[in-house]
Amino acid sequence: MKFAIAVFSSPDQPSNRRALRFAEALLAAGHTLERLFFYQAGVHSASAHVVSPQDELDLPKAWLQLIQQHQLDAVVCIAAALKRGQLNAEEAQRYARSGHSIDAPWELSGLGQLHEAAQSADRLICFAGP
Amino acid sequence: MMSKAILLVSRHAPTDGSSARELLDIALAGGAFDLPISLLLLDDGVLQLAPHDFSLLQQKNLSANLQALALFGVEQIYAAERSLCERGLNTLNSTLPVQRLDDAAVSQLYRQHDVVITL
Amino acid sequence: MSTTLHILSHSPFSDLRLSSCLRVLNADDALLLCGDAVLALQADTAHSAALELMPDSIGLFVLAEDLAARSFIDTVPARIRIVDYQAFVDLTLAFDKVNSWT
Repeated sequence: MKFAIAVFSSPDQPSNRRALRFAEALLAAGHTLERLFFYQAGVHSASAHVVSPQDELDLPKAWLQLIQQHQLDAVVCIAAALKRGQLNAEEAQRYARSGHSIDAPWELSGLGQLHEAAQSADRLICFAGP
Repeated sequence: MMSKAILLVSRHAPTDGSSARELLDIALAGGAFDLPISLLLLDDGVLQLAPHDFSLLQQKNLSANLQALALFGVEQIYAAERSLCERGLNTLNSTLPVQRLDDAAVSQLYRQHDVVITL
Repeated sequence: MSTTLHILSHSPFSDLRLSSCLRVLNADDALLLCGDAVLALQADTAHSAALELMPDSIGLFVLAEDLAARSFIDTVPARIRIVDYQAFVDLTLAFDKVNSWT
Protein backbone atom coordinates (compact mmCIF):
# COMPACT_ATOMS: atom_id res chain seq x y z
CA MET A 1 0.00 0.00 0.00
CA LYS A 2 1.02 3.62 -0.51
CA PHE A 3 1.51 5.79 2.56
CA ALA A 4 2.12 9.49 3.09
CA ILE A 5 3.29 10.85 6.43
CA ALA A 6 2.82 14.41 7.64
CA VAL A 7 4.88 15.58 10.61
CA PHE A 8 3.66 18.67 12.48
CA SER A 9 5.86 18.45 15.59
CA SER A 10 9.47 19.39 16.20
CA PRO A 11 12.15 16.77 16.92
CA ASP A 12 11.93 17.50 20.65
CA GLN A 13 8.40 16.07 20.73
CA PRO A 14 7.78 12.32 21.17
CA SER A 15 5.43 12.28 18.18
CA ASN A 16 8.32 13.21 15.87
CA ARG A 17 10.16 10.04 16.85
CA ARG A 18 6.91 8.06 16.59
CA ALA A 19 6.58 9.25 12.99
CA LEU A 20 10.11 8.01 12.25
CA ARG A 21 9.44 4.59 13.80
CA PHE A 22 6.15 4.33 11.90
CA ALA A 23 7.94 5.16 8.64
CA GLU A 24 10.58 2.51 9.32
CA ALA A 25 7.89 -0.07 10.16
CA LEU A 26 5.85 0.51 7.01
CA LEU A 27 8.96 0.33 4.82
CA ALA A 28 10.05 -2.89 6.59
CA ALA A 29 6.62 -4.35 5.82
CA GLY A 30 7.15 -3.71 2.11
CA HIS A 31 4.78 -0.76 1.78
CA THR A 32 5.62 2.39 -0.17
CA LEU A 33 6.21 5.76 1.47
CA GLU A 34 5.24 8.18 -1.26
CA ARG A 35 6.03 11.37 0.60
CA LEU A 36 7.12 12.80 3.90
CA PHE A 37 5.64 16.26 4.44
CA PHE A 38 6.89 18.50 7.24
CA TYR A 39 4.64 21.35 8.41
CA GLN A 40 4.34 23.63 11.45
CA ALA A 41 7.15 22.88 13.93
CA GLY A 42 7.86 19.68 11.97
CA VAL A 43 10.04 21.80 9.67
CA HIS A 44 12.81 21.69 12.31
CA SER A 45 13.28 18.01 11.43
CA ALA A 46 15.06 19.14 8.27
CA SER A 47 17.55 21.38 10.03
CA ALA A 48 21.23 20.55 9.65
CA HIS A 49 21.87 22.97 12.52
CA VAL A 50 20.38 20.89 15.31
CA VAL A 51 23.06 19.75 17.76
CA SER A 52 21.71 16.91 19.88
CA PRO A 53 23.35 15.93 23.17
CA GLN A 54 25.58 12.89 22.60
CA ASP A 55 23.43 10.58 24.70
CA GLU A 56 20.16 11.55 23.00
CA LEU A 57 18.60 10.39 19.76
CA ASP A 58 19.47 12.84 16.97
CA LEU A 59 16.16 12.90 15.10
CA PRO A 60 17.11 15.26 12.25
CA LYS A 61 20.08 12.96 11.55
CA ALA A 62 17.88 9.84 11.78
CA TRP A 63 15.36 11.37 9.35
CA LEU A 64 18.13 12.26 6.92
CA GLN A 65 19.53 8.72 7.05
CA LEU A 66 16.09 7.20 6.43
CA ILE A 67 15.45 9.57 3.53
CA GLN A 68 18.82 8.83 1.95
CA GLN A 69 18.66 5.08 2.53
CA HIS A 70 15.21 4.73 0.93
CA GLN A 71 15.49 7.71 -1.45
CA LEU A 72 12.31 9.19 -0.01
CA ASP A 73 10.56 12.30 -1.19
CA ALA A 74 10.93 14.66 1.80
CA VAL A 75 9.10 17.97 1.44
CA VAL A 76 9.27 20.86 3.90
CA CYS A 77 6.52 23.50 3.70
CA ILE A 78 8.35 26.61 2.58
CA ALA A 79 6.10 29.15 4.32
CA ALA A 80 6.23 27.23 7.62
CA ALA A 81 10.01 26.83 7.31
CA LEU A 82 10.76 30.47 6.51
CA LYS A 83 8.91 31.81 9.52
CA ARG A 84 10.68 29.31 11.77
CA GLY A 85 14.12 30.22 10.51
CA GLN A 86 14.79 27.08 8.46
CA LEU A 87 16.08 28.13 5.03
CA ASN A 88 17.86 26.44 2.17
CA ALA A 89 20.66 28.22 0.30
CA GLU A 90 18.30 29.70 -2.28
CA GLU A 91 15.97 31.22 0.34
CA ALA A 92 18.89 32.45 2.45
CA GLN A 93 20.15 34.34 -0.56
CA ARG A 94 16.68 35.64 -1.47
CA TYR A 95 16.12 37.05 2.03
CA ALA A 96 19.75 38.03 2.64
CA ARG A 97 20.24 35.75 5.64
CA SER A 98 23.75 34.85 6.73
CA GLY A 99 23.39 31.09 6.54
CA HIS A 100 21.12 28.24 5.61
CA SER A 101 20.09 25.11 7.50
CA ILE A 102 18.36 22.94 4.91
CA ASP A 103 20.18 21.06 2.17
CA ALA A 104 19.24 18.41 -0.39
CA PRO A 105 17.69 15.85 -0.31
CA TRP A 106 15.22 17.96 1.67
CA GLU A 107 13.04 19.99 -0.63
CA LEU A 108 11.18 23.23 0.15
CA SER A 109 7.78 23.45 -1.47
CA GLY A 110 4.16 24.44 -0.89
CA LEU A 111 1.06 22.96 0.71
CA GLY A 112 -0.05 21.64 -2.67
CA GLN A 113 2.44 18.82 -2.03
CA LEU A 114 0.50 17.82 1.09
CA HIS A 115 -2.75 17.75 -0.87
CA GLU A 116 -1.16 15.80 -3.69
CA ALA A 117 0.11 13.22 -1.20
CA ALA A 118 -3.29 13.02 0.54
CA GLN A 119 -4.95 12.37 -2.80
CA SER A 120 -2.52 9.82 -4.18
CA ALA A 121 -1.60 7.78 -1.09
CA ASP A 122 -3.85 5.07 0.31
CA ARG A 123 -3.31 6.51 3.79
CA LEU A 124 -2.16 9.88 5.11
CA ILE A 125 -0.90 9.57 8.68
CA CYS A 126 -0.27 12.78 10.63
CA PHE A 127 2.00 13.00 13.65
CA ALA A 128 1.89 15.95 16.02
CA GLY A 129 1.74 16.99 19.63
CA PRO A 130 3.45 15.12 22.44
CA MET B 1 -10.89 9.39 -10.57
CA MET B 2 -12.92 11.41 -8.09
CA SER B 3 -10.91 13.48 -5.65
CA LYS B 4 -10.92 12.33 -2.06
CA ALA B 5 -13.09 14.48 0.20
CA ILE B 6 -10.99 16.15 2.88
CA LEU B 7 -12.21 17.17 6.31
CA LEU B 8 -10.04 19.78 8.01
CA VAL B 9 -10.68 20.03 11.75
CA SER B 10 -9.58 23.26 13.39
CA ARG B 11 -9.39 22.99 17.20
CA HIS B 12 -7.40 26.08 18.14
CA ALA B 13 -8.39 29.61 19.10
CA PRO B 14 -7.17 32.26 16.64
CA THR B 15 -5.11 33.71 19.48
CA ASP B 16 -3.39 30.38 20.25
CA GLY B 17 -0.28 30.55 18.09
CA SER B 18 -0.29 29.75 14.41
CA SER B 19 -2.36 26.53 14.33
CA ALA B 20 -5.65 28.14 13.30
CA ARG B 21 -3.92 30.11 10.54
CA GLU B 22 -1.86 27.16 9.32
CA LEU B 23 -4.98 24.98 9.14
CA LEU B 24 -6.72 27.67 7.07
CA ASP B 25 -3.69 27.74 4.78
CA ILE B 26 -4.22 24.02 4.12
CA ALA B 27 -7.88 24.77 3.34
CA LEU B 28 -7.04 27.61 0.96
CA ALA B 29 -4.38 25.53 -0.82
CA GLY B 30 -6.87 22.69 -1.24
CA GLY B 31 -9.49 25.08 -2.56
CA ALA B 32 -6.99 26.47 -5.06
CA PHE B 33 -6.58 22.92 -6.40
CA ASP B 34 -10.38 22.54 -6.64
CA LEU B 35 -10.36 19.77 -4.05
CA PRO B 36 -13.52 18.99 -2.08
CA ILE B 37 -12.68 20.52 1.29
CA SER B 38 -14.84 20.83 4.39
CA LEU B 39 -13.82 22.82 7.46
CA LEU B 40 -15.02 21.86 10.92
CA LEU B 41 -14.49 24.26 13.81
CA LEU B 42 -14.33 22.13 16.95
CA ASP B 43 -13.49 22.84 20.60
CA ASP B 44 -11.57 26.15 20.84
CA GLY B 45 -11.69 26.33 17.03
CA VAL B 46 -15.19 27.86 17.27
CA LEU B 47 -13.58 30.96 18.80
CA GLN B 48 -12.48 31.81 15.26
CA LEU B 49 -16.09 32.89 14.65
CA ALA B 50 -16.08 35.35 17.55
CA PRO B 51 -15.06 39.01 17.11
CA HIS B 52 -11.49 39.86 18.07
CA ASP B 53 -9.29 42.92 17.93
CA PHE B 54 -6.17 41.23 16.62
CA SER B 55 -4.36 44.52 16.15
CA LEU B 56 -3.90 44.80 19.93
CA LEU B 57 -1.88 41.58 19.76
CA GLN B 58 0.00 42.76 16.66
CA GLN B 59 -1.53 39.86 14.80
CA LYS B 60 -3.01 39.74 11.34
CA ASN B 61 -6.79 39.52 11.16
CA LEU B 62 -7.67 35.85 10.83
CA SER B 63 -11.27 36.55 9.83
CA ALA B 64 -9.99 37.82 6.48
CA ASN B 65 -8.60 34.32 5.84
CA LEU B 66 -11.93 32.79 6.87
CA GLN B 67 -13.81 35.12 4.53
CA ALA B 68 -11.41 34.15 1.72
CA LEU B 69 -12.45 30.50 1.95
CA ALA B 70 -15.51 31.03 -0.26
CA LEU B 71 -13.37 32.74 -2.92
CA PHE B 72 -11.24 29.58 -3.00
CA GLY B 73 -14.30 27.37 -3.34
CA VAL B 74 -14.31 26.17 0.27
CA GLU B 75 -17.98 26.57 1.15
CA GLN B 76 -18.62 23.68 3.51
CA ILE B 77 -17.92 25.31 6.86
CA TYR B 78 -19.23 23.74 10.04
CA ALA B 79 -19.08 24.56 13.73
CA ALA B 80 -19.78 22.18 16.60
CA GLU B 81 -22.85 23.43 18.45
CA ARG B 82 -21.62 21.88 21.69
CA SER B 83 -18.27 23.72 21.46
CA LEU B 84 -20.11 27.03 20.92
CA CYS B 85 -22.44 26.41 23.88
CA GLU B 86 -19.59 25.34 26.18
CA ARG B 87 -17.89 28.67 25.45
CA GLY B 88 -20.99 30.82 25.94
CA LEU B 89 -21.19 31.56 22.23
CA ASN B 90 -24.52 29.90 21.41
CA THR B 91 -26.13 33.19 20.41
CA LEU B 92 -23.14 34.32 18.36
CA ASN B 93 -24.04 35.91 15.04
CA SER B 94 -21.25 35.13 12.62
CA THR B 95 -20.94 36.92 9.29
CA LEU B 96 -19.51 33.68 7.94
CA PRO B 97 -22.06 31.21 6.53
CA VAL B 98 -21.50 28.40 9.02
CA GLN B 99 -23.63 25.33 9.59
CA ARG B 100 -23.96 24.37 13.22
CA LEU B 101 -23.84 20.65 13.94
CA ASP B 102 -24.93 18.66 16.97
CA ASP B 103 -22.78 15.76 18.24
CA ALA B 104 -24.39 13.17 15.95
CA ALA B 105 -23.93 15.38 12.89
CA VAL B 106 -20.27 15.99 13.81
CA SER B 107 -19.71 12.20 13.98
CA GLN B 108 -21.48 11.83 10.67
CA LEU B 109 -19.14 14.42 9.12
CA TYR B 110 -16.14 12.21 9.94
CA ARG B 111 -17.90 9.27 8.26
CA GLN B 112 -18.56 11.25 5.10
CA HIS B 113 -14.95 12.21 4.35
CA ASP B 114 -12.05 10.19 2.96
CA VAL B 115 -9.21 12.08 4.64
CA VAL B 116 -9.08 13.98 7.95
CA ILE B 117 -6.42 16.45 9.03
CA THR B 118 -6.75 17.98 12.49
CA LEU B 119 -4.71 20.94 13.70
CA MET C 1 -19.38 5.57 4.70
CA SER C 2 -15.83 5.70 5.89
CA THR C 3 -14.36 4.40 9.15
CA THR C 4 -11.71 6.21 11.17
CA LEU C 5 -8.82 5.20 13.38
CA HIS C 6 -8.42 8.05 15.86
CA ILE C 7 -5.00 8.59 17.44
CA LEU C 8 -4.49 10.43 20.71
CA SER C 9 -1.18 11.36 22.32
CA HIS C 10 -2.05 14.04 24.91
CA SER C 11 -2.53 13.28 28.59
CA PRO C 12 -6.28 13.15 29.32
CA PHE C 13 -5.55 14.79 32.68
CA SER C 14 -4.37 18.06 31.17
CA ASP C 15 -6.31 18.16 27.94
CA LEU C 16 -9.85 17.75 26.56
CA ARG C 17 -8.99 15.79 23.44
CA LEU C 18 -9.99 12.40 24.85
CA SER C 19 -13.50 13.50 25.84
CA SER C 20 -13.92 15.33 22.55
CA CYS C 21 -12.74 12.24 20.65
CA LEU C 22 -15.05 9.86 22.53
CA ARG C 23 -18.01 12.00 21.39
CA VAL C 24 -17.14 11.86 17.68
CA LEU C 25 -16.34 8.13 17.57
CA ASN C 26 -18.69 6.14 15.36
CA ALA C 27 -19.69 2.58 16.20
CA ASP C 28 -17.14 0.97 13.86
CA ASP C 29 -14.26 3.37 14.56
CA ALA C 30 -11.27 2.71 16.76
CA LEU C 31 -8.97 4.57 19.11
CA LEU C 32 -5.21 4.18 19.44
CA LEU C 33 -3.60 5.63 22.54
CA CYS C 34 0.05 6.59 22.34
CA GLY C 35 2.36 8.95 24.22
CA ASP C 36 0.82 10.38 27.37
CA ALA C 37 -2.70 9.47 26.18
CA VAL C 38 -1.75 6.04 27.55
CA LEU C 39 -2.42 7.53 31.00
CA ALA C 40 -6.13 7.10 30.23
CA LEU C 41 -5.61 3.39 30.95
CA GLN C 42 -4.54 3.90 34.56
CA ALA C 43 -6.87 1.90 36.81
CA ASP C 44 -9.39 3.63 39.06
CA THR C 45 -9.53 6.81 37.01
CA ALA C 46 -12.49 8.47 35.35
CA HIS C 47 -10.78 8.06 31.98
CA SER C 48 -10.29 4.29 32.18
CA ALA C 49 -13.91 4.01 33.37
CA ALA C 50 -15.08 6.03 30.35
CA LEU C 51 -13.07 3.79 28.01
CA GLU C 52 -14.54 0.65 29.56
CA LEU C 53 -18.03 2.04 28.88
CA MET C 54 -17.38 2.47 25.15
CA PRO C 55 -19.51 0.16 22.97
CA ASP C 56 -17.83 -3.20 22.25
CA SER C 57 -17.82 -2.42 18.54
CA ILE C 58 -15.24 0.32 19.08
CA GLY C 59 -11.71 -1.06 18.98
CA LEU C 60 -9.36 0.25 21.68
CA PHE C 61 -5.61 -0.02 21.11
CA VAL C 62 -2.45 1.14 22.84
CA LEU C 63 1.05 1.51 21.40
CA ALA C 64 3.23 -1.11 23.10
CA GLU C 65 6.35 0.97 23.74
CA ASP C 66 4.40 3.88 25.24
CA LEU C 67 2.59 1.53 27.60
CA ALA C 68 5.75 -0.38 28.54
CA ALA C 69 7.68 2.85 29.12
CA ARG C 70 5.08 3.86 31.72
CA SER C 71 5.79 0.80 33.81
CA PHE C 72 3.71 2.11 36.72
CA ILE C 73 0.63 1.16 34.68
CA ASP C 74 0.67 -2.53 35.55
CA THR C 75 -2.72 -3.68 34.29
CA VAL C 76 -4.89 -2.57 31.41
CA PRO C 77 -8.56 -3.39 30.78
CA ALA C 78 -9.00 -6.77 29.03
CA ARG C 79 -10.53 -5.21 25.92
CA ILE C 80 -7.44 -3.11 25.18
CA ARG C 81 -5.22 -4.58 22.47
CA ILE C 82 -1.51 -3.81 22.57
CA VAL C 83 0.13 -3.02 19.21
CA ASP C 84 3.78 -2.65 18.22
CA TYR C 85 4.77 -0.44 15.27
CA GLN C 86 4.24 -3.26 12.76
CA ALA C 87 0.70 -3.80 14.07
CA PHE C 88 0.22 0.00 14.13
CA VAL C 89 0.90 0.05 10.37
CA ASP C 90 -1.58 -2.80 9.82
CA LEU C 91 -4.12 -1.02 12.01
CA THR C 92 -4.03 2.11 9.84
CA LEU C 93 -4.93 -0.10 6.88
CA ALA C 94 -7.82 -1.76 8.70
CA PHE C 95 -9.67 1.57 8.74
CA ASP C 96 -10.48 3.86 5.83
CA LYS C 97 -8.63 6.84 7.29
CA VAL C 98 -6.61 7.97 10.27
CA ASN C 99 -7.28 11.09 12.33
CA SER C 100 -4.53 12.25 14.68
CA TRP C 101 -5.75 14.57 17.43
CA THR C 102 -2.69 16.75 16.97
